[in-house]
Amino acid sequence: MAVTVKRNPGDIIFFSLTAVASCTIIVFIVGIVFVLLTESSLAIQKFGVIQFLTSTEWDPVKETFGALTSIYGTIVTTALSLLIAIPVALGIAIFITEVAPNFLRAPIGIAIELLAAIPSIIYGMWGLFTLSPLMGNTVEPFLKKATASIPLVSVLFQGTPMGIDVLTASVILSIMIIPFTASIARDAFNLTPAVVKESAYALGTTKWEVVKNIVIPYSKLGVFGGILFSLGRALGETMAVAFVLGNNHRIFTSLFDSAATITVTLANEFTEADKDIYLSSLFYLALVLFVMSFVFLAIAKFFLLRAERRYSR
Amino acid sequence: MTREQIRKAEGAAALTLSTLSALLGLFWLVFILGDVLVQGLQALTPTLFLNDPAPAGAEGGGLRHAFVGQLLITFFASLIGVPVGVLGGTFLAEYARGRRIARIISILSDIVVSVPSIVIGTFVYAVLVKPVGHFNGWAGAVALAIIMIPVVLRTTEDMLSLVPWELREAAFALGAPYYKVIIQVVYRGAATGILTGILLSIARVAGETAPLLFTSFNNSFFSVDMSHPIASLTATIFQYATGPYKTWHAQAWAASFVITVFILLLTILGRLIIRWRYK
Repeated sequence: MAVTVKRNPGDIIFFSLTAVASCTIIVFIVGIVFVLLTESSLAIQKFGVIQFLTSTEWDPVKETFGALTSIYGTIVTTALSLLIAIPVALGIAIFITEVAPNFLRAPIGIAIELLAAIPSIIYGMWGLFTLSPLMGNTVEPFLKKATASIPLVSVLFQGTPMGIDVLTASVILSIMIIPFTASIARDAFNLTPAVVKESAYALGTTKWEVVKNIVIPYSKLGVFGGILFSLGRALGETMAVAFVLGNNHRIFTSLFDSAATITVTLANEFTEADKDIYLSSLFYLALVLFVMSFVFLAIAKFFLLRAERRYSR
Repeated sequence: MTREQIRKAEGAAALTLSTLSALLGLFWLVFILGDVLVQGLQALTPTLFLNDPAPAGAEGGGLRHAFVGQLLITFFASLIGVPVGVLGGTFLAEYARGRRIARIISILSDIVVSVPSIVIGTFVYAVLVKPVGHFNGWAGAVALAIIMIPVVLRTTEDMLSLVPWELREAAFALGAPYYKVIIQVVYRGAATGILTGILLSIARVAGETAPLLFTSFNNSFFSVDMSHPIASLTATIFQYATGPYKTWHAQAWAASFVITVFILLLTILGRLIIRWRYK
C-alpha cells in the first residue's frame, strides 16, 4: 500500500520533515544513553561497574558511592507492590470481562482508567497526609501484633511502625500500577475468541472454569507482558514514593524501615550534589535505572506483540 | 457435597473475589479523589489564584506564581511536542506505512512513553541546564515535550491508520501529490482523533513533577522569564507538602485539587470524544 514519493518539491520537503520528526524518538534513546554515560564517566572510572552495583556504601562526605542500597530498595518496593497489585488487577480484569453486567463494564473501565490518570504527585501527597498516618496508627500495629508469634515472618514487621516506610510506599505504588495491569489484562482477556468460550459453556462448565481453563491460558502471554510493563513503570516511579520512603541508604530487613530507591535518591540529592563525583554518581544511578526499566519494558513489549500476533488472526 | 456443588461453590467464591477486587479498585479511587476534593475545597479561595505567596508560614498569600509558571511550561512543551509528535506519527502512518522502520519506531515510542520521567529530567539537566549554568524554564518545557512526543506520535499514527485507504486513492486519482493528500484529506479525516491524542498528552504532562525538579526547578516569586528558574504547581506541591507549615499544607491540597480536576476533565473529555466519534 505504501506510496513511493514522486519528485515533487512539496513532497520532498514534507517527507523529510516527518522523517526527521519521527527519528527524534531514536535520538532520545541514543541521546539519553550517550549523555548519561558521558556524565557518569567520572564515577564509572572511580568505582567501576561491579563495585558500584554491589557496594552498599553511599557516603557523600567520604565521597564513596555504591548503588546497592538504592537498587535493593527499588527491587523490594517494586516486588512488594506487584505482589499486592497483580491479584487485584487480575480480579478487576476478570470482573470487567466476564462478571459485570454489560451496562457496568464501560463505567468501571473508565473509573479504573481515571485511577491511572491521577498524577503521581497526588498519590504521593495523599500517601503522606492520609495513608501514612492510617498505616502507622492502625494497619501496621495490627500486622505487628498478628505476626509476632510466627517465627520468620515477624522479622518483616520489626521496629516501631511509623507509617514512613517500605510497606506504605509499596501500598501506594501498588494502587498506582493496578490500573495499568488491569487494563492490559482486560485487553488480553478480550482477545479470547468467543467461540471457544461458548463451546466450553456448551459442555456445562461454570463461568470460573471458563476463566481458569480457557481465558487465562489463552491470554497468558498478554497478561505476562502487562505485568512486566507495570514492573517497568513501578521501577521508575518517583513522586508517589518520594514522600513516604524517607531516603535512608541501608539494607533493610523490616518492612517498617525507611529506605531509598534509585528514584528517591535522585529526587532528594540531585540538586544538592555539590561535588563532581557526587553528581557523576547520581548520573550513574540514573543510567542504571534507565537500563533496568528499558530492558523490562522491551521484554514486556515483546510478549505483548507475540500475544497480539498469535491470537488476533 | 457432590462434585457439582463443589464446582459451583468454587466458582461462586472466585467470582466473589473478583467482584471484591473491582470494589477495592473503586474504593481507592473514591478514597483518593474524595480526600483531594474535601481537603482541596477547604483551602480553595479566589486569593489562591490572584496572590503571590506570603512569607513562609504566614497566613494568606496564593499560588499565582505557580499557576502562571505551570501554564507557561505546559504551553511551550505543547508548542514543541505537538508538531513534532503529529509530524512523526504522519511519517509512520503514511510515508513509511508497512515498512520495517515504522514498526521499529512505533515499538520504541511505546517503550519511551514508560521510561522513568526522572531519567528524562537528568538528561535534560545535562543538556540544557549544566551548559547554561542555572535552572531555567525552557529546560522544563523541553523535558515535558520529550515525554509528550511519543504519546502524540503513537495516537497520531493510530488515528491516521483508521482513515480508509480508498480516500487517499480517490485524491490521488484527482492528481494530488501525496503531501496535499495528507494535509487536506487524511488530516481532515483524523482531526478529532489527533486532537484527542493531544488533549490526553497534555493531561499526561500536566501532572509531571520529577522531570521539573532538575530543569525548571522552582521559584518562590512571580516570574514569566523562561530563561530562569520558574515555579510550577507540581514542584510547589512537593515543596509545600514536605514543608513544616499548616498554611503550606492547605495550599498544597488546593493546588492538588485544581491539577487533579484539570487532568481528570481532560481525560474524560478525551474519552467522550473518542466514543462520540468512533462508535
